[in-house]
Amino acid sequence: MKKLTVKKLVTPVLIATLAVGCAELQKPQSLLDAEKAYQTAANDPIIQKYSADQLANANKTLLTSATATSEEDLASIAYISSTQINTAKHMASAEQAMQNSKDLLIQQGQLAAAAVIAEQDQAQQQLLAMQANEAEREILLAFGKIEFVTGTSDLVPGAATGINMLAGYMSKFKAKEVTIAGHTDNSGSDTLNQDLSQQRADFIRNLLVTKGVAESRITTLGYGQSQPIAENTTRDGRQKNRRIEITFK
Amino acid sequence: MIKKPNTMLLIRASILSVAVSGLTACGIDTPKAELAYAEATIHAAQNMGANNYAAVELERAKNKLQQAQSEVKEDNNELALRLAKESAATAELAQAKAKDGKAKLAESQIQESLKIQLK
Repeated sequence: MKKLTVKKLVTPVLIATLAVGCAELQKPQSLLDAEKAYQTAANDPIIQKYSADQLANANKTLLTSATATSEEDLASIAYISSTQINTAKHMASAEQAMQNSKDLLIQQGQLAAAAVIAEQDQAQQQLLAMQANEAEREILLAFGKIEFVTGTSDLVPGAATGINMLAGYMSKFKAKEVTIAGHTDNSGSDTLNQDLSQQRADFIRNLLVTKGVAESRITTLGYGQSQPIAENTTRDGRQKNRRIEITFK
Repeated sequence: MIKKPNTMLLIRASILSVAVSGLTACGIDTPKAELAYAEATIHAAQNMGANNYAAVELERAKNKLQQAQSEVKEDNNELALRLAKESAATAELAQAKAKDGKAKLAESQIQESLKIQLK
């Protein structure tokens, strides 16, 4: 309400001074420069965004030149308005810098969080790798004891432990793949042993599949008698050669 | 926060006094409000670190205020009013420059620490 009364006061004053004053005052170059600087600043998007209010003050000052009564007045108006425009520029620039800082701090926080997560991930991976190694060792140990009924792919009772362990391992470590390779001793023909070793490997694969392991993660090989690890001349040696070898990757 | 209503009051007071002076069309009263406002703005600028970031503007604002005060003693109130207003505007610029300088310094420091973090 007060503002309104002020405006009501100013307008007649303006008219009165214009009427009383003789010739209109010549605008000094400094005032023309200030007006130009105001236009440039008004078109600056950063000033528009951050310091429009301050720039509006400069405009108000420039408008008072209409009621100026002396050249000194006009010079003062030019000085004040151009100073206000400068102030608006610095205020906008300060706000912009603060906004940049804010963005940078957010970025910094995100980076720090990502680093923590990566560290946790790495620790988790290391732990899993250790667990996998441990499980693999146990599986190899158990498969070392697996025996088949001679001449067939039937397992002797008690062989289930290793297979169950392998199935558990495969379900825990989803990225792992396994190769099951069958080997025989040298009793019987090459072809027969080749087939038998393949059948034994496949037999174990099929057991794993029934326990829910994806077939695509299992490779089976039959080497027959081609890769003995002991002499076939003794019973003990032949037993060592009849074996299932498990490799993980 | 406290400054704003004061500023508004001062602006209103100055508009009123301008209006009144226009009406009387002769000598004006001592521009006490404008002088006080300029002085307060200079103090605020100093508190914001204008000594470091806007030494020239701060000095100019002080000089203009001093001149204004001398003109008041000579009863040149119109000149004093102009000088007081110029002083306040200059002190406001000093404040903005201080704020700008500090904000830019902070930004560059954050940028620097980010660079170290990225290494």
